[in-house]
Amino acid sequence: MNTSAGASEKNQAAETGGAASYFSALWAVIWKDLAAEWRSRELLSAMLVFALLVILIFNFALELDALARNNVTSGVLWVTFAFAGTLGLNRSMAVEKDRGCLDGLLLAPVDRSVIFFGKAISNLVFMLVVAAIVLPVYSILYNVNLFRPGLMLVIFLGSTGYVAVGTLLSSMAVQARTRDILLPILLFPVAIPLLVAAVKASAGFLQALPIEDIRPWLNLLGVYDVIFIAVAFMVFDFVVEE
Amino acid sequence: MDGPANTMVYMIAGYAVIFTVLLVYLISLVIRWRNLRQEEEILREIEKKS
Amino acid sequence: MDAKPRLLTILDAVTALMMTAATIMVFAYAPMEAVMGPVQKVFYFHVAHSWVGMLSFVVAGIAGIAYLRTKNMKWDIVGLATVELGMVFMLVGIVTGSIWARPIWNTWWTWDPRLTTTTIMELIYAAYLMLRQGIEDPERRARFGAVYAIVGVISVPLTFFSIRIFRTIHPVVIGSGDAGAEGSFDMTPRMLQVFFFSLITFTVFYFDLMWHRIRLGSLAQRVEQLKLRLSE
Repeated sequence: MNTSAGASEKNQAAETGGAASYFSALWAVIWKDLAAEWRSRELLSAMLVFALLVILIFNFALELDALARNNVTSGVLWVTFAFAGTLGLNRSMAVEKDRGCLDGLLLAPVDRSVIFFGKAISNLVFMLVVAAIVLPVYSILYNVNLFRPGLMLVIFLGSTGYVAVGTLLSSMAVQARTRDILLPILLFPVAIPLLVAAVKASAGFLQALPIEDIRPWLNLLGVYDVIFIAVAFMVFDFVVEE
Repeated sequence: MDGPANTMVYMIAGYAVIFTVLLVYLISLVIRWRNLRQEEEILREIEKKS
Repeated sequence: MDAKPRLLTILDAVTALMMTAATIMVFAYAPMEAVMGPVQKVFYFHVAHSWVGMLSFVVAGIAGIAYLRTKNMKWDIVGLATVELGMVFMLVGIVTGSIWARPIWNTWWTWDPRLTTTTIMELIYAAYLMLRQGIEDPERRARFGAVYAIVGVISVPLTFFSIRIFRTIHPVVIGSGDAGAEGSFDMTPRMLQVFFFSLITFTVFYFDLMWHRIRLGSLAQRVEQLKLRLSE
């Protein structure tokens, strides 16, 4: 009795120790990415300029007058985020691969999922930073107020699912011969439910629809996030093993 | 009502597509099989020589 | 291994017989539909093709899981075979559906859940093949293919639901029909017989083709190994 209680206590201690080291490893991976980005700023600046250019092109392609804007704003925003997101995802993995960082990380005595979650979270941070800059710019350019808590929630949920799948697929894409063109081809068809739900939910919040009309889309976003974080977590080992 | 609509052309087009695509796929299977067999034979000969 | 198995020859013969019978049934046995006319006959093979397209997608997912668990290359061959077949069958399903839709819906294309989902499935198949093409190492190619097949097979139902929330005009022939669906019809017993016979026929045809495609895949694998051995 006594011994078993002691054993379980010991187990628990080992587990919390494991958890602590897991999170410190995770933090190290994230910090490495953010610090490197802070020094060079090449990834974020590329994503940002690209995002603004996409919005500019949409302005001329769709003639975003006051009437059209109400209907297409959420679509324009999500296309911008999706394109800028692929750019960032591809680049952040390609850098790891080229500098041999990925091999270094794989040799480190940490759980493989640390690498996945670390890369995914730093990619998420980049996407959210881009969104945080695009939103006010868009608001000023087109004179619409995009600062609604509902929209923020949708952007967070949508970006989370997008980087979960995107990180998994980009770590496969960078190991292929055709890596520069492969990621969007792999990512877009499987990200469609996410993008549909995100566009619809954003449009709902922007048009101030009743919450009952938006909830199905939010549920879908949540389900997508949970499923794909779990799947990516389970199969990531197979993508990086050598 | 004036009976069934005259949609014969579409039916013929539909089945033409079905049978053409299936036939093309079957032919492609046969051709790939033959090419691979030839390649295999050539490779085995090279292997024997070396 | 090289000689064609006896069972496969028998399966070939059975498939050929069933295909002939199904074709004759569609044209001679199935009654003419009262409103749509002859074009309704496309429906029997159209649904069968779409069904096989979906079946092979599920098989690709299962083969992917099996490969990651066992690391046995034969599952990779199965995966590639089913993806290729699925792509062919789904393409025929989409094109025949489009041909049917032109006179009935008065348009070649609508963005309804089934049409959109099948198109996205086709794109996922294409992406799967492109991913494989870009990787030279057979073992890594198999792993990545398996991972992508699993991701794809999970995303497709979500795609379907996401578009399902919009209204659909695609007829639901089996089960509770949507009253608003245009071009739906009640099947007479004869139509049902032809319909199910085509479904079974094409399922058999799928397995027959799979067998052939797997044989082709293992031959391709042998050739690839020979090449690798010689280049060393």
